[in-house]
Amino acid sequence: MKVSLNTVRALSNAVVDDDIDELVRKIGAQLGAVEEVVDYRPRYAGIVVAKVVSCIKHPNADKLSVCMIDDGGITPDVKRDDQGYVQVVCGAPNVREGLTVAWIPPGATVPTTFDNDPFVLEARELRGVVSNGMLASANELGISNDHSGLLEIEAHDVGEDLAKTGTAFGKLYGLDDVIIEIENKMFTHRPDCFGVLGVAREIAGIYGKQFTSPEWYLDIQNSTENQGVSSEALKLEVENQLLQVVPRFTVCAMNGIKIKPSPLWMQALLTRVGIKPINNVVDLTNYYSYVTAQPLHAYDYDKVASLTDGEGAKLIVRYPHEGEKVALLNGKTIAPRSEAIMIATDKELIGVGGVMGGTTTEVDENTKAIILECANFDMYSIRKTSMAHGLFTDAVTRFNKGQSALQNRVIINQVIRDTVKYAEGTLAGEVLDYVDCDKINISGDGWNDEEVAVSSSFINERLGLGLSIDDIKQTLKNVEFGFDDAGEKDIKVYSPFWRTDIALPEDIVEEVGRLIGFDKLPHELPARTMSPAVIHNELLLKKSLRSSLSSMGANEVLTYSFIQGDIMSKVGQDPSLAYKLSNALSPELQYYRMSLTPNLLTLVHSNIKSGNDRFTLFEMGKVHIKSDIDDGGLPIEFPSLGAVFTDKSQRGAAYYSVRAYIDELLDGSFALEKPENVDVSQNDRLRQLIAPYEPSRSAAILLHGEVIGVVGEFTQKVVRAFKLPPATAGFEILLSALSQVTTNSYVPLSKYPGISQDVCLEVARKVTFAELDGALSEIMNNSDLDDDITLSKRLIDIFEPAEAEVKRYTFRIHFVSQSRTLQEKLVSQRMDQIVTSLGQKINIRRI
Amino acid sequence: MHQYENVMNELRGRASEGDRSVMKSVELKSLFEEIKLMPADKKAAFGKAMNDFRQELESLLGEEKQEDNRPPIDVTAPWDVNTSYASRPQVTTSLEGSIHPLTAEIDRIIDIFARMGFYVLESRQIDNDYNMFEVLNFPEGHPARDDYDTFMTEEGLVAPAHTSTMQNRILSQNKHLLDEGQPIAFVVPGRVFRNEDLDATHEHTFHQVEGLYVSKGVHAGMLVATLKTYIKEYFAEDLQVKLQPFYFPFTEPSFEMAVERPEILRRDDSEEQRWLELVGCGMINPNVLKMAGIDPNVYTGFAWGFGVERMVMMRNSIEDIRHFNSGKLEFLRQFK
Repeated sequence: MKVSLNTVRALSNAVVDDDIDELVRKIGAQLGAVEEVVDYRPRYAGIVVAKVVSCIKHPNADKLSVCMIDDGGITPDVKRDDQGYVQVVCGAPNVREGLTVAWIPPGATVPTTFDNDPFVLEARELRGVVSNGMLASANELGISNDHSGLLEIEAHDVGEDLAKTGTAFGKLYGLDDVIIEIENKMFTHRPDCFGVLGVAREIAGIYGKQFTSPEWYLDIQNSTENQGVSSEALKLEVENQLLQVVPRFTVCAMNGIKIKPSPLWMQALLTRVGIKPINNVVDLTNYYSYVTAQPLHAYDYDKVASLTDGEGAKLIVRYPHEGEKVALLNGKTIAPRSEAIMIATDKELIGVGGVMGGTTTEVDENTKAIILECANFDMYSIRKTSMAHGLFTDAVTRFNKGQSALQNRVIINQVIRDTVKYAEGTLAGEVLDYVDCDKINISGDGWNDEEVAVSSSFINERLGLGLSIDDIKQTLKNVEFGFDDAGEKDIKVYSPFWRTDIALPEDIVEEVGRLIGFDKLPHELPARTMSPAVIHNELLLKKSLRSSLSSMGANEVLTYSFIQGDIMSKVGQDPSLAYKLSNALSPELQYYRMSLTPNLLTLVHSNIKSGNDRFTLFEMGKVHIKSDIDDGGLPIEFPSLGAVFTDKSQRGAAYYSVRAYIDELLDGSFALEKPENVDVSQNDRLRQLIAPYEPSRSAAILLHGEVIGVVGEFTQKVVRAFKLPPATAGFEILLSALSQVTTNSYVPLSKYPGISQDVCLEVARKVTFAELDGALSEIMNNSDLDDDITLSKRLIDIFEPAEAEVKRYTFRIHFVSQSRTLQEKLVSQRMDQIVTSLGQKINIRRI
Repeated sequence: MHQYENVMNELRGRASEGDRSVMKSVELKSLFEEIKLMPADKKAAFGKAMNDFRQELESLLGEEKQEDNRPPIDVTAPWDVNTSYASRPQVTTSLEGSIHPLTAEIDRIIDIFARMGFYVLESRQIDNDYNMFEVLNFPEGHPARDDYDTFMTEEGLVAPAHTSTMQNRILSQNKHLLDEGQPIAFVVPGRVFRNEDLDATHEHTFHQVEGLYVSKGVHAGMLVATLKTYIKEYFAEDLQVKLQPFYFPFTEPSFEMAVERPEILRRDDSEEQRWLELVGCGMINPNVLKMAGIDPNVYTGFAWGFGVERMVMMRNSIEDIRHFNSGKLEFLRQFK
């Protein structure tokens, strides 16, 4: 919202601090964030009102004139003649003796060039005659589009005082303005602050001053008659079929309209706040929308009448029929959504209610009579229509905050008065005011019906302040709230009719706190008990994993939670199981990921290309799949840990490099199983998880018999699709499973030395290490031979001779007793027994 | 068409033998160049035939099961056969391990709040409209929803645009604490999503840390004091804060808190550089408490939320927000 301080001043007794910085600071602290401050005063510096005292043709140029001008002698450092006049060369067609003009002297800047590439004038020769600066058009002065000739300053326009020579030009037309732009977001719940009137009231409030709205705005009971009702009434009818979404529709017809440009002050103001001046009628509707936040629309009466069956003009408020279209003022033709509020005639649609008018009934230079519309539209309907058609107008911005439906009559009355004043119109018949009386009580006295009961203690408890009830009352009264006393410290608060945001006592807390100033809140920490705060286990786990993995040389990455369908297909996942976004930014971000591995794979090639030959990337993130839903119907979120390792120059199987991480992280409490031995066919999530991994070169990770993840190399298809080096492998584990990992229990140290013996066992190649190792462990643990000896083992070597289909495993077995020193002989015997027992389980040969 | 059949058959043959070079072969290229030379009425049909042909080649190449020539391995073994002691797998793959700057930052933030007595719970990454908007006092169609360009799934689920999506859950699941005379004190870090185009300063995926405190007699000054205490700990400096009024449907009053920027992080002496708009916050709207089954006449509370990326970028002079999700080692390894 761009707030013109001159308009704030003009509206009422509003306080405007001359110290703009302080004002901006206070607005920021007590109303809403200030986005920009544009001070228009410097751009008119030096420019003065001057009178053309003589004007003769330029001796060397047909289209130029040489003028002597009188600036009241106030401009310094400029060459003057004997009478104190200044010579200026001018090419404007309307330059003539006696004209009062704006003179831009040497050293001053042409206002329209102020922001970009400023053009500073000087005294220079034009075809041999010196021109001291220039006389300016309204366009060059940045106050209207008119560049047909010099701006002619009229005393009846600006007042005798200001039309005097030597007046600083900025004082005219309210040009010495400052525009403060306040973030719209702040006003989402404050429809009144989309009008300068609302902001002016707040400014008074934060300065602790009583604000009084203009009389016409407070004339809610419509006590003043509209002036100049025409004898010749224009027939106007309204049929509102949509009372539920158009609770108020107030219109009137005016005739005798003379279309011309609106007054310069108004054009200049609209330009400053970003609204394009059109003509007096349209500008008036825009001006009052800017002042009151109530959007208005003007139709050409005769155009509406020509589209009406029978006599007169008729506006119909209805939904569009199927296939109907409307040509809008922005040049586009749309087929409105079926529940868009439309304004129509008998014959066709003529506008989207509350959003944008249509071209067929537009006010133009030939307009003689108008229909003024001041309506209230349902904010939700307006928002939906605006979104559906991408129409974002000032009217939408205001209506979709929910304007008060109590202000329509006072506003249309004022616009009628000004249309009489600025467009010479007269009211042609009654003001028609269609109101949904079930929802809107227009017979009220200016207060909203709902009162809010609140006490000083309620307010003080929530602000931590000690305000008296009188402080509170005064603060609210300043911004025109009303109240009844309801006890010593209790009041009933009545919000004024333009406020739509006051429903709860907390809303009063906000109002009072803000107007008093939140900088007055006491900084006081909540009291705390001695009980320690508990930290969420999963977060602690993640923190420790991050620390372990990074200390092992791995790099933590974050990839998007979203993934491309194509990537999923490439790794063998089924995109139809993934949640798909209906409004994704791009195909790359179309689906929720079902596992972390695919996104990690996309990072391998690019990092190799930028010169990294060996690395491990890991990520902790959440994955989702359609098959896993919680009791509340929401997708279960599976926190997952994924990693990918690659080494461009490694020859051996990358599988083992990655497995080493699993050994480290799971601390021996897991089991690895060939994928073929694990049935995941019933589990969509696990099927998607293992999809990128090559079954013959990967393993399922099991913890307490449950599959918790996968580790391994990738399928050839994946290797090709992601351009992976041969030595690339990865793993992915369910994070929640990791918190169940139990570390090996402590074994007491023995006072006696132990003995180690190596044993080399040959098995058929197809026997896995796990089978052999498992069997060996079982025998060692269940050894019923002698319970006082503790056995432990360590794998030393795996040898596969080239010539035979066998493998040889060398284990180092450690024997220790808690009660004696072991003899070599006993150990050897024991080793033989172990090998014998093992031989009964697995076909082995001791080497 | 038939005059091209020979070339096409030859390419088919090569493709079914698994020769991937056919896709870039001169023959295939020249077939496509023929499209331009076709008479106008045949151009479209021929072009389509060529595209179909290219797809056919691709499927021939794809279907062919490339020989997996990697020697078989025993996945249950800790290392491969015949691996010398020196070449056995090491977990330390490099000396350049690193923790992502954003997760490190979040750990640091939640550590401070945990020490202040807040319980930590991570935010969801997929949620419903009910939690994201409805229970936060955003009615359907409310204009405040416009400030959150949310991603939606085809099922109508929401990619949360703020960590406040956890508020109702936390309040309703922990209200027993209030009966026990304990406050509800939570911080909620998490990933959030906004449907916004990427550039150097805008991400569609970023992180927030939400906070929630409900008890008896909680007032707005306590919100300021709590955040100020956190900020002092975070910056290791006692910095000024100021409140700007703001609007959120789920708090009343609502504020934006600006923190005095530590001098070392200021680019110049301007008022603009002096303040850092850091935290959206406010007193929890009574409707939000009510919807969680908490009586707003007995209990009051405050909530806040702030972004993580901006602080990390500012503190490390990171020039482009896109680096965070880029997975570039050059970036990551600078945060050891």
